[in-house]
Amino acid sequence: MAHRGGERDFQTSARRMGTSLLFQLSVHERELDLVFLDHSYAKPWSAHPDASSARPTRMLFVTPRRQHESTIQMMDKHLCCVKYVWSGPISSPVYSESDVPIDVETVTSTPVPLYDNQKARSVMNECERHVIFARTDADAPPPPEDWEDHVNRTGWTMAQNKLFNKILKALQSDRLARLANEGACNEPVLRRVAVDKCARRVRQALASVSWDTKLIQWLHTTLVETLSLPMLAAYLDALQTLKGKIPTLIDRMLVSSHTKTGAAGAEALSLLLKRPWDPAVGVLSHNKPSKLPGSPLILIASSGPSSSVFPTSRRHRFWQSQLSCLGKVIPVSTHLLNNGSGVGVLQCLEHMIGAVRSKVLEIHSHFPHKPIVLIGWNTGALVACHVSVMEYVTAVVCLGFPLLTVDGPRGDVDDPLLDMKTPVLFVIGQNSLQCHPEAMEDFREKIRAENSLVVVGGADDNLRISKAKKKSEGLTQSMVDRCIQDEIVDFLTGVLTRAEGHMGSEPRDQDAEKKKKPRDAARRDLAFEVPERGSRPASPAAKLPASPSGSEDLSSVSSSPTSSPKTKVTTVTSAQKSSQIGSSQLLKRHVQRTEAVLTHKQAQVPISSEQTEEVEKEDLRVQLKRHHPSSPLPGSKASKRPKIKVSLISHGDAAGGACAPSQGGAPEVSGGKPVTMTLGQASGAKELTGLLTTAKSSASSEGGLSASPASSAVSSSTAPSAVHTLQSRLVAASPGNSLPGATSASSLLQGLSFSLQDISSKSSGLPASPSPGPAPQATSMKLPTPMQSLGAITTGTSTIVRTIPVATTLSSLGATPGGKPTAIHQLLTNGGLAKLASSLPGLAQISNQASGLKVPTTITLTLRGQPSRITTLSPVGSGAALSEEPAPQALPSSSQRLPPAP
Amino acid sequence: MATEEAGDSKGESALSSSANRSNQVPEKPNYALRFTLLGHTEAVSSVKFSPDGEWLASSAADKLIKIWSVRDGKYEKTLCGHSLEISDVAWSSDSSRLVSASDDKTLKIWEVRSGKCLKTLKGHSNYVFCCNFNPLSNLIVSGSFDESVKIWEVETGKCLKTLSAHSDPVSAVHFNCSGSLIVSGSYDGLCRIWDAASGQCLKTLVDDDNPPVSFVQFSPNGKYILTATLDSTLKLWDYSRGRCLKTYTGHKNEKYCIFANFSVTGGKWIVSGSEDNMVYIWNLQTKEIVQKLQGHTDVVISATCHPTENIIASAALENDKTIKLWMSDH
Repeated sequence: MAHRGGERDFQTSARRMGTSLLFQLSVHERELDLVFLDHSYAKPWSAHPDASSARPTRMLFVTPRRQHESTIQMMDKHLCCVKYVWSGPISSPVYSESDVPIDVETVTSTPVPLYDNQKARSVMNECERHVIFARTDADAPPPPEDWEDHVNRTGWTMAQNKLFNKILKALQSDRLARLANEGACNEPVLRRVAVDKCARRVRQALASVSWDTKLIQWLHTTLVETLSLPMLAAYLDALQTLKGKIPTLIDRMLVSSHTKTGAAGAEALSLLLKRPWDPAVGVLSHNKPSKLPGSPLILIASSGPSSSVFPTSRRHRFWQSQLSCLGKVIPVSTHLLNNGSGVGVLQCLEHMIGAVRSKVLEIHSHFPHKPIVLIGWNTGALVACHVSVMEYVTAVVCLGFPLLTVDGPRGDVDDPLLDMKTPVLFVIGQNSLQCHPEAMEDFREKIRAENSLVVVGGADDNLRISKAKKKSEGLTQSMVDRCIQDEIVDFLTGVLTRAEGHMGSEPRDQDAEKKKKPRDAARRDLAFEVPERGSRPASPAAKLPASPSGSEDLSSVSSSPTSSPKTKVTTVTSAQKSSQIGSSQLLKRHVQRTEAVLTHKQAQVPISSEQTEEVEKEDLRVQLKRHHPSSPLPGSKASKRPKIKVSLISHGDAAGGACAPSQGGAPEVSGGKPVTMTLGQASGAKELTGLLTTAKSSASSEGGLSASPASSAVSSSTAPSAVHTLQSRLVAASPGNSLPGATSASSLLQGLSFSLQDISSKSSGLPASPSPGPAPQATSMKLPTPMQSLGAITTGTSTIVRTIPVATTLSSLGATPGGKPTAIHQLLTNGGLAKLASSLPGLAQISNQASGLKVPTTITLTLRGQPSRITTLSPVGSGAALSEEPAPQALPSSSQRLPPAP
Repeated sequence: MATEEAGDSKGESALSSSANRSNQVPEKPNYALRFTLLGHTEAVSSVKFSPDGEWLASSAADKLIKIWSVRDGKYEKTLCGHSLEISDVAWSSDSSRLVSASDDKTLKIWEVRSGKCLKTLKGHSNYVFCCNFNPLSNLIVSGSFDESVKIWEVETGKCLKTLSAHSDPVSAVHFNCSGSLIVSGSYDGLCRIWDAASGQCLKTLVDDDNPPVSFVQFSPNGKYILTATLDSTLKLWDYSRGRCLKTYTGHKNEKYCIFANFSVTGGKWIVSGSEDNMVYIWNLQTKEIVQKLQGHTDVVISATCHPTENIIASAALENDKTIKLWMSDH
């Protein structure tokens, strides 16, 4: 990769720029610096003891007002730092016209965009490259250029005609934008904006028919059949974008095509649609924010009572995962009793504040030395502020701040917020409705606490920038978000280092070490994935009815808007590591008991992964990379792993607890290996690596197991091959159970059923295999329950599953002898989830009793352990480089399961 | 058919007096007639050099497009297909294609080498008057007497966008150098700048007394706009601030949509035809007329500059029907 070196150069130079990677992107008002330059005797703003504690405002992407006169911003598609180049001295009226030489030739050089242009262009054209997969009949000649004239509209209803024309118009506009933007220096951003626009228009058109299932399915089929390839690519791009926003509706639209087109095409299609691409993918993933000093706990105050009906917004979830790059994130949510009936607003607010407050207290009592950072969005920000008045926290970050109320702006003399003493950072949007930068300045003057303000230019209440802003300044939301995050880091670093810095150097070093590990993840490039699949239509995997949710998970890390998954995975692992080492090493020497086996494995993972050779990892990754696309199953597994894993753990525990003597023995000896192998396989390559490197015997036994159904050679006991065999075995085994392409239940359930079926199908394959003696035993004890649970889950409605976990979690926690604190403590100190699970017999029992509830329950636990969603899904380390962000639809439900207050 | 001129005398500048000013920084051009290209049987409407500098394309009221070799002024080929008069012709960036705008309400895309019509762009409801490729040559913009501006996809020949641009016939359309903007001028006196990607109007330039705009063009770097109005005035605008920077006068232009041009190969000039049968050359900075090219016997409707050499091609209406190539040392 020739461009790699250059890329790195760019990164280093980007780092050198300052604290914020994208600092140069934003137009900062540096007037303060000017003052210092001109008046060297000037004292810093804080020199006077009575000075306001409001630090100077930081402006992100705020276009200075004096330059507003340049109205045509779009014509200059450069980044804002060079935007006003042409406004030369002509503006001075003193000059006579002819005095100024006019240069009609020289073209202003185009600046290099801040994202990795090459990569951005590659992901940008993905739909175009793979458009053929959407075709029903790939062998048929592509529609001619004048396809439009050939569309046979006879028999179309008026509604159909109308809808078709609307979509066509949207696609034509998109086509125009594509062609016009071709070759522009920031084409990816412009394309992204255009695609978003097209997606919006398509969505509007579809909404105009109320997403009438028949009509939209007809539309999709017709479009796929008739559109010319470039137009079809535009259409797919729009679908891809919408799929991220309204997955269920899009799935409903695609269902008919799936049945018609056959698995391969549908699968490729859903693979393509799994997630919208982002131009800034490279830069952001390669320049990850580092952890905050002092390993603070980040408490996120919710901005309302959580409800299963209104899941938290994608944006908030995304930010939650972003923040988990900085430290351990603990979301605090409030649940209303009786579905909120009879609960007044005030009560609710009190409830919310109370919840955060008790959480703070709880953490204080357990980790007296850990700094706590409260973060909230909008109302949550307010809650956080109020809590900071009552309880000691290290810092507060308000993302969007509802300054303006019906009674005017906050900050009256009796406003308790004025008594805040905690350092607070306000991040507000320039165009926010609930807040105004100037009113904010007044408010800040009155606060006693040290406070900072970041104004994000052109952003709204949720700090989202407008389309015009993106276009004119070549920005993406992900870049802006990163800048905001950098500002937060800046602020918190300052506060935290000033606060007693007792953090050990160890975790930090490990972080650094972790980061050094190569994590090339250009997996967005389907080029080598899909053709391979397409060329093997006879592979068993291809015959699977492709479920949108199933293959959706086969997403690429690098394409995630922020590439957060990798980051998170790393950081979490490293976070756990320091604490895990002790306990797991201890455990290693223990005689293993039922739970200990699992706990042990679980806890071991980070260590062993560290010991693993780089090369091996590389191999592993390559293997995974190569084999992933070969079937939807391994892919879907990738994201579902954690669920399976946890369920198995609790299951094993349950089994161990309930029928201790008989089965307790099984996992103890090598018979336990199959279980753990399932576990390992389910929980990711990394863990598997860990397992295999630490327990080679299990690998070999696994190899024996997998030999039968899969044709692949059981060549060695090394991790990669084991993974390989596992996966190929799955491929081979799964068609037996025709997987349901059901879209009715929530897709999380789908995912679960998928993965559980994976297991069951695999394990059903096991008895036939020449596996070591204990294996069948393990299987037999394993098999029924997943099946059972599968049945329970799939028959259960989504709401049940959604609501139950909360209750069960609470009760299970309550039922725990140790109580909540213990659980958290163990979770935090020992890191291992399994540890937690093992320490919670109550939980195990619950999951045992109600098998249908089991899986969600355990998910809850996982989520609590590593509250970021990615973490949740892959708490395993960088082996999860393949682990994807969970299916978008899966998210709402899973994050609802976030426990109120562990 | 081309006739070659022996001497420079015919094209010599009449304004020798100004040459006396020795302190003049930019030298004056000395364009002299080199070739006269005969072939069209009706008024010539437009001449354009190909971007590679090899060819000259001319369109005329005889419904034909003719290709001429710039080197020797030789007639190369004729592209025929339009059923009515052709008002404008434009080259693609790679010099392989032409687009022509005709009174038959269509545009045609031609492959120059084969002389074949690749696509006929139908959609305008009145005479198509002006057309241009974008720099990438994947889009074509056209202006029409139906008062609209249409953007076409070259590949498919489909209209992607119709801009209800003006309230009078559109006299000129042009892409900027990056292809992100389109400028259109109209008899309604407006110059509008459009975002090529979205078709949104970004800016409107209006003159005080609102004379009909007969021609408009971006400067080579896309920072300025040159407009011609039917009050015998050319203006150079800084369109980002809506300010007129330079005004070029002295020629006569009250009736026809006469092409104007930036000449950047030698000195920096503005070149335009005129209704007094001459080609006018102004100094871009000083706005002085530096040379007038005499020779045509009718209104010089089109004057265009070679992309790399000091060559000007000019064409005149039906009393003349000829195209003349002029060359200069600097």
